[in-house]
Amino acid sequence: MSRVDVVRAAPGDFETVLLRLLGASDARVADLFASTASTAPAAPAAPAAPTAPGGPDGAQPDRAITLRAIVASDAEGGYVVVESDFEDGVYPPLSDLSPATFVEECEIFEEFSARPMGGKPLNRVLVPPHAETDFPRLGTGPPVVEPGVRAPHVVAGQAFEFPVGPVRGVGQESLYMGLVTTGEEVLDLYLHQWHKHRGIERRVHGWPAERALFLVERAEGLSAVATAWAFCRAVERAAAVAVPAPVERTRAVALELERLYNHAAAVAALCQSTGLSVGQAQAEIALERLLRVNLAAAGHRYLFGTLAIGGVTRALDVSAVRALLPEAVAELRRVVRALRTTNSFLDRLEAAGTVPQETARGLGLVGPIARASGVEIDCRRDHPYGPYAEHPPEVRTRHSGDVLARMEVMAEEVEDSRRLIWDLTAAGLDSGCVPVPYGEPATGLGWCESPRGESLAWVSVDEEGRIERLRLRPASVRNWRAFDDAARARNVFTDVPIIEASFWLTVAGFAR
Amino acid sequence: MSGRSSDSTARPSGIGRVATPQPKAADAEIREVATSLAESVRSFRRSLHIRTVDTGSCAVCESEIRLLAAPHYDLHRLGFFFTPAPRHADLLLVTGPVARGMEVALRKTYDAMPDPKAVVAVGACPLGGVFAPDDWVHGNLDAVIPVDVFVPGCPPSPLALLHGLLLAVGRLGAKVTEDPFTATATPRPAADAPPPTKAVEVSQPAVAAEAASRSETT
Ligand code: SF4
Repeated sequence: MSRVDVVRAAPGDFETVLLRLLGASDARVADLFASTASTAPAAPAAPAAPTAPGGPDGAQPDRAITLRAIVASDAEGGYVVVESDFEDGVYPPLSDLSPATFVEECEIFEEFSARPMGGKPLNRVLVPPHAETDFPRLGTGPPVVEPGVRAPHVVAGQAFEFPVGPVRGVGQESLYMGLVTTGEEVLDLYLHQWHKHRGIERRVHGWPAERALFLVERAEGLSAVATAWAFCRAVERAAAVAVPAPVERTRAVALELERLYNHAAAVAALCQSTGLSVGQAQAEIALERLLRVNLAAAGHRYLFGTLAIGGVTRALDVSAVRALLPEAVAELRRVVRALRTTNSFLDRLEAAGTVPQETARGLGLVGPIARASGVEIDCRRDHPYGPYAEHPPEVRTRHSGDVLARMEVMAEEVEDSRRLIWDLTAAGLDSGCVPVPYGEPATGLGWCESPRGESLAWVSVDEEGRIERLRLRPASVRNWRAFDDAARARNVFTDVPIIEASFWLTVAGFAR
Repeated sequence: MSGRSSDSTARPSGIGRVATPQPKAADAEIREVATSLAESVRSFRRSLHIRTVDTGSCAVCESEIRLLAAPHYDLHRLGFFFTPAPRHADLLLVTGPVARGMEVALRKTYDAMPDPKAVVAVGACPLGGVFAPDDWVHGNLDAVIPVDVFVPGCPPSPLALLHGLLLAVGRLGAKVTEDPFTATATPRPAADAPPPTKAVEVSQPAVAAEAASRSETT
């Protein structure tokens, strides 16, 4: 079992503590988030009640926050939660230390109006522009509605901005892309994801954890198992309960089934984006088969409702998995093999959407995207949980960091997931839930390697198991921030959909 | 182990977690729905165009919609086409709980579609079953635009979506006969199209049958 240490630092020491932790090799800031300070009056409970505006005569709203940074030491294993109270809502600019935390700093400003020292411009991330100051937030929002600041880019000379979205192609999620171009080459690109923001973190405030799980799964439906597992582990850690090993193995089988269908869907999307309809059709046959395996195994094509806090809601039909899975995986293998010998396809993939290793590290990328850029992380191996200490995955990497590398990493992970499912089912599965006794207010951190990479959940629950603060950080939150870099790197317009397919992220996970 | 293996109803008591059982995508059943669909589309010269809008889905309904065009379901063969342009669309599939950030885009898409048009609400989200209405989301689709067909399910399987499309085509046919779309013409009497009714909901007998068959086989 991997360790989680909690370090409480004085506000003045926050930066020093972080610097010391980050000095260790392979340590990275995995997440940064705020909550209303524990000393402050309780956050508004009724979801419908508008937050009181900051006082009629411009009285200072209460900006005290508790800031938490989650540092992952991948080499040694273990997470450290560093926490500090900042009374005036001003904290050290951590994105100067770790550029990965910039998006989180923007989120903290939107939700709590606390900002990093130095007054650097912050982007609009999740709160839509129409939101007034009384728009409900996790904390006390900014006293004035500031105009959204975009990623710094220049539109001048021959360049113009080509707007795409938010309504895009059929069966694609809503997302606004601003493509800055002179006609063909992508000079710059920025994304707006706030259209889909559903406020899940705030919505579940005061809910029993069991009820919150319903929405947690739906934060990013394509990683329902991974997000739910991270959340369940966070609650289980807070309540200090251990789930029996055979039940954890059931969860792991569900997680690997999820990885399989996601990677198949990514291959199908890659074929679609390159206009290869035969490959697309074949990959979709594999995808549909994998979804039917899920249906036969767990009663749901996307494995919703399989996990529960303290265990799983149902047993998986192991015989169905063993009977149906090999054929579905073989189908996918055939597609990938054919694709690997299709030169016209490979030409589109090679050197497209390159993410160099330093970028991947600097932006804190996770999952297949990081591994394709030579960053060897996988929290199933680095921070083993559930059955992964006895059944470690093989971590596959590539070094070119382009679309082809990402496809190859995914293809190899498919084989590994299939192997893991066989090992895990051979070791024996079980179902059921252990009772979760909530005693006193507690906090917990959970993590899980989703098909898109490390997914984190942090909760604080009160004595009856009601959620006081939920922080969800699916892998999509991290990985979208490399999208503009990948798209900019000497690519043309038509490469953008290819890069998007190889990232295989969801907007839902970002805009949760 | 296999004794309990597919007991999909076992879950901790008292918790309202709904995992929608889904129709087993029995290929025979798909064929059956497909045949009726192809028949109803014939009256539209085998050419109906679909536009989709995501208003805050969890990305799974999108996945099922994409699979409609995949070989197992192959919607194109029945005369349906996906279109990127709302001005060419006859049917609008809407997923998600209508996040307020998407409201303008949704209305613009709807308004840009020519009459007659039919709106299909895809999944539990636009039915109001996932998110309660509040400052972030409307929570259900018919609070924003009129809905013709509700397809329940979280997500509705492609088979349920085909059922939903079948109903939507019926509604569209009714709208065509109802409205001459010219200033002078007299309304044609409805031939064999069912009279337009209030929004219909896809019943899911297949779901019940499937649940029954699952418990029998174990
Ligand atoms: S209806 Fe269910 S599957 Fe569809 S978008 Fe909503 S939560 Fe996701």
